[in-house]
Amino acid sequence: MNKDRSDVLQGTLDMLVLRALQLEPMHGWGIAERIEQWSERVLQLGQGTLYPGLYRLERQNFIRSEWRITDNNRRARYYSLTASGRRYLNESLAQWRRVSRAINLVLDVTAVS
Amino acid sequence: MGAIADVLRRLRALVHRRELEERLDDEIRFHVEQQIEKNQRAGMAPAEARRQALIRFGGVEQVREQTRDQFRAAPLEHLARDVRYGLRSLRRHPGFTAMAVLSLAIGIGANTAIFGVAYAVLFRQSPLADPGTLVNIYEAESVGQFNPMSYPNIEDLRRGTTQVFSGIAASAFAVAQIDRAGTAATVMGEAVTGGAFALLGVEPQLGRAIQPQDDVSRGGHPVVVLSHGYWQRAFGGDPHVVGRTLKMGRRGYTIIGVAPADYRGGLPAVTPAFFVPMAMLNDVMGIDMLDRRFNHSMLVKARLAPGVTRVEAAHAASLVAAALTATRPEGWIPGERFELVPTSEVQVVPGVDPLLRAAAWLLIAVVGLVLLLACTNLASFLVARAVDRGQEIAVRRALGASRGALARQVLVESALLGLGGAAAGLVLAFALLALLLSIDLPLPYGMRLDLHLGLGWTTLLDWRVLAFTTGAGVMAGMALGLVPAIHGTRADLGSALKSGSKGSDAPGPLRWRNAMVVAQIAMSLVLLVGAGLFLRSWQQTLAVDPGFGRAPTSVLSVIMPATRSAPDAALQRTRRLLERFRTLPGARAAGLIWPLPLELSSSQTDFTIDGRRPPPGRETFRASRATVDGGYFDAAGMTLVTGRTFNDGDRSDSQPVAIISQAMARRYWPDGDSLGRILRRPDPAEADLMVVGVVSDVNVRSLGEAPRDVVYQSYTQGPPLPGASFLVRTAGDPARLALTLVGAGQEIDPDLRVMQAMTMAQHLATSRLPSQIGAFLLAAFAVLGMALAAIGVYGTVRYTVAMRTREVGIRMALGADAAGVARLLASRGLRLVLVGGAIGVAVSLVAARLLATLLFGVGTFDPVALTGAPIVLGLAACLAAYLPARRASRANPLAALRAD
Repeated sequence: MNKDRSDVLQGTLDMLVLRALQLEPMHGWGIAERIEQWSERVLQLGQGTLYPGLYRLERQNFIRSEWRITDNNRRARYYSLTASGRRYLNESLAQWRRVSRAINLVLDVTAVS
Repeated sequence: MGAIADVLRRLRALVHRRELEERLDDEIRFHVEQQIEKNQRAGMAPAEARRQALIRFGGVEQVREQTRDQFRAAPLEHLARDVRYGLRSLRRHPGFTAMAVLSLAIGIGANTAIFGVAYAVLFRQSPLADPGTLVNIYEAESVGQFNPMSYPNIEDLRRGTTQVFSGIAASAFAVAQIDRAGTAATVMGEAVTGGAFALLGVEPQLGRAIQPQDDVSRGGHPVVVLSHGYWQRAFGGDPHVVGRTLKMGRRGYTIIGVAPADYRGGLPAVTPAFFVPMAMLNDVMGIDMLDRRFNHSMLVKARLAPGVTRVEAAHAASLVAAALTATRPEGWIPGERFELVPTSEVQVVPGVDPLLRAAAWLLIAVVGLVLLLACTNLASFLVARAVDRGQEIAVRRALGASRGALARQVLVESALLGLGGAAAGLVLAFALLALLLSIDLPLPYGMRLDLHLGLGWTTLLDWRVLAFTTGAGVMAGMALGLVPAIHGTRADLGSALKSGSKGSDAPGPLRWRNAMVVAQIAMSLVLLVGAGLFLRSWQQTLAVDPGFGRAPTSVLSVIMPATRSAPDAALQRTRRLLERFRTLPGARAAGLIWPLPLELSSSQTDFTIDGRRPPPGRETFRASRATVDGGYFDAAGMTLVTGRTFNDGDRSDSQPVAIISQAMARRYWPDGDSLGRILRRPDPAEADLMVVGVVSDVNVRSLGEAPRDVVYQSYTQGPPLPGASFLVRTAGDPARLALTLVGAGQEIDPDLRVMQAMTMAQHLATSRLPSQIGAFLLAAFAVLGMALAAIGVYGTVRYTVAMRTREVGIRMALGADAAGVARLLASRGLRLVLVGGAIGVAVSLVAARLLATLLFGVGTFDPVALTGAPIVLGLAACLAAYLPARRASRANPLAALRAD
């Protein structure tokens, strides 16, 4: 396993998936690719976490899914955000920013001293 | 996100499961294909692109499984799957399944039935209000006595204890001749004091209860409350029964209410048919039951006044007793005391309770053993299954099934067996109960042993009993399933996979099975020995010669309505009855006696003899007493040893005479000079008696007792009899003659209250009842136990045979003869039987001592029972071991070799 690549942090998967879906509905493979791209290939979604995560988020009513036809005429399951998913994403992002900023502050202080 | 919505979604997913599975498969396929295309675009060869894509994706199966976890109702679905799987695998082994379910059904069925009966008889209390403040009061001449009270004593006690008791309720059995639609029947009911229902907190289910204003003037309140059972039996549960009239004796009684179903009257287990006010007791019975202090027939309950302890109440009662002893009213026995016992501690009567409890615990222990036997069968079945499945389990574990999941599955399978056993056991329990309730116990006076409270077995099998059954079944299954669950799933994968399906000797589980077979044999041997002891005990009571009634004899027990006529008229009527009976066709001899020997009631008399000193601490000698006519001894088949019997010369104005038992003559006049001696009686109401004859001994109180001192008096000398039993010896059918006696008696005296008409054989059977019930119940359970043990042996031998199929094939191919192979295979089973038998005999010797109090005429070291039981069991076990062994030895060697 490449050291530069890391598994998605526990608990942040939901946020990443929802963020990926914020722009447009996507199928599972698309989501995985999108996250990998955006993270400059640092974050690789294990499929063993992606699909259980998707099914769980759907069960929690944060996303919904439907069959659509892809550009190259294939049938795929497309996921899209629900209203409560959008709300949940915003809350998670705010929370994440607050926490990561706090953590960075602490780390920076330690680095100085 | 609500938890409920989540559950609903999961449940919905359960329904749309297939759809979801397909969707997931499509998504995964699409995902992998996208990756392949991407890889190809990156320049990979198609095969390599596919390989890399699959590697990249990871284990398809794992992803599928983990995702499934998200949409299914996991625990529920696991359970459903395990149940489905369990049912399927049980169906695949119908023989073993049937054996296990049958074993459990027998164990649970017997337990449920016995638990139900024991619960109804012993542990269910009448629904009395605030039972903690109720006490039962008895009279006692000495420690350990708990006699019913007499009405005058209750009145005195009531007056002297108003400070400590807020109320005293008394009840007495009332035997009434109830005339319905022209047919008269003797029915047992109860007379209760006016405040009894209110004091005990018993609310009628219909109409009103008997109240204090119903119990004021003697004979002035012809009202009756029906028991629930009698209301159902005689009136079909008619809701408009209140206000109708019930003809009891010659009077019509107005029905004012119906008692609740769970109220069992003053003496639990024997529910009266009706309740009348105490003031009507003499009217119903036709004799005086209320005015004589020596007539002990009242059961008494009292409620402690608020704040008063039982010790304080007992002290107040003892002051009343002391005052009575000081004033010595007629019929009060100086030194008598009142005994207070908390009502909640009394099952039936304190004197009888220990025996009842012993019997109940014995029964519970016996059925417990039967259940244990059934469980060991189930356990050995499960161990065998676990061994059979060793390889399957190893494969599934290697494929990634968790140990927990496998253990859960084994447990589910055992629980299924348990439930199946419980269900079948319940059916069996219903059948057993129906059988028990249909047994017509020869109880005197038309008493009904009301196990079912008139409601049938639906109430008997109430929720507690049902909970017991299902609990026992599931617990037994789960507990026993635990062993193979732990054992089987712990097995070392490598060796289990290598060992192949059959032929592995798997020493661990086999040792388990062997231990269980040994335990089974030992337990069933203990049961058999116990049953043997009880059967021997019963046989002994059959062999006992009570000293009377050996020839076919009819018995007519009546109450003599003497209160309504002058003593002379009563005497004349009795004489006419005797003459009529004596001249009936088929009658050989007729006589009367009161009280009938071996009946519930007994009578005693105190006397002194010139020149002999009574035993220390006593002022008088005491003997049993009976009143007879001159023809009784002949009718009862007794012999006159010396002197004469009573005759017409013995009148109220002639010398009072007595005939005594041979035992009494030997004790007081060992030289044989008893005739002409005088029995002086200190009670001024009783005349001194001159001994004019000696007759052979009889059993008076219990079968096989040591000969007693008995004083017989003539009915022509003394107060009018309250009742009598007419004995008519016959050459014909005594049962038919008994019915003739009823008609003939009522022709002469329309007021005659027939208590019962029966044969002497029936009467004697009643006194053998306890040992008979014990013997047959225990024998039945012992046979059940033996059957279970035989099933166990059979199963074990069959199992070892199955494991050694290949070996048998080789032996036979090499020329071993069938008989030798059968012997070889059976020998292992028989070794276990021997070990179990030895342990069983040892345990039996100890256990038999515990039975000593319940046995009659049999030592606890009874050679017949101790050799008979092992022989019977040994034969059954041999058969059980031989059958499967023989079958294996007849198998085609080639087929056996090819097995697997």
